[in-house]
Amino acid sequence: MPKSTSQVIIDHPSHSIRYLYDQHAGMLLGYIFEVVKDRKLAEDYLVKIFSALSLRDVVLDQEQVNTWCSLLKFAKAKLQLFQAVNPYETAPVHTGVTFASSANTYLDRLNELQRSVFCGVYHHGKTISALSTALNTTEDLTRKTLKEALLMMRSDG
Amino acid sequence: MVKIDEYLESGALESYVLGVATAAEIEELLALKSRHPQIEEALAILEADLERIAEHMAIAPPPNTWNRIEASMNELVKTPKMENPKMEYLIGDEPVGRSQPRSRKSEQFIEIEGENGHMRIRKAWRWVFAAVFVLGKIFLAFAIYYYLENKHTQEEIQQLKMEMRSMRK
Repeated sequence: MPKSTSQVIIDHPSHSIRYLYDQHAGMLLGYIFEVVKDRKLAEDYLVKIFSALSLRDVVLDQEQVNTWCSLLKFAKAKLQLFQAVNPYETAPVHTGVTFASSANTYLDRLNELQRSVFCGVYHHGKTISALSTALNTTEDLTRKTLKEALLMMRSDG
Repeated sequence: MVKIDEYLESGALESYVLGVATAAEIEELLALKSRHPQIEEALAILEADLERIAEHMAIAPPPNTWNRIEASMNELVKTPKMENPKMEYLIGDEPVGRSQPRSRKSEQFIEIEGENGHMRIRKAWRWVFAAVFVLGKIFLAFAIYYYLENKHTQEEIQQLKMEMRSMRK
């Protein structure tokens, strides 16, 4: 029976980081860039996140079947840590290469509320509770808005 | 009893996949997932969606990025193994687990390179070692001095004995 991607990663940790890099480095760099909005800083964080994977006994946990989601979860936790340690790095003034606006057509499909909720959760790791307070809505409504945002992004492929 | 269709529409799955569900929500979801296969299917679809979104936003990393990661990994892997053994033993103290926080007391120890890893001793011992070294040198100097003095005296006694014998003759 062929092994799943997650199983391969757990069985061969010494090679798995390179495998993860080949599969997901571009996606992760894109994600980090959306968070920090600075190309140079995003590249530095990408190096730090992949390096940090080497300190783990098992590269990614088996709880999440999808490797990308598992890596994303790990990266989010690390990014929050980096930003907590060096808050000035995410300040509006950046030294690296920056792009004026994101060419993200997926986000263009969302209305303002959906975008706030999706970006708050996906890029900034804000909890439903914190977002509901900030947007002055209920938690149920925030969750439903998040669902709608993902549905909108799914529509049209 | 939670109605499964309402649950699927509530946005709870999206919160979970995006990592912002609370512990209670995760517990509820895992319990429902084991009973309702449609939850597992919905989660797989959501995860695939997230992967597709990320692929759409992907930026190719610069060519030297993997070399930087490898260099950084080598640094990270070497350092903790050399400097963070599982247990540290302090002379005159009980073994100290690595997980315990470092106290000011540990700052009083200096490291001496051993065959395997490091060993720690109290800083105060350096004065004892210095005193033992200096005293050792003094004793050695005295020993050499008295040895030579004794040898010289023995030679003089021998010479005097010979002179006395020659005078008697």
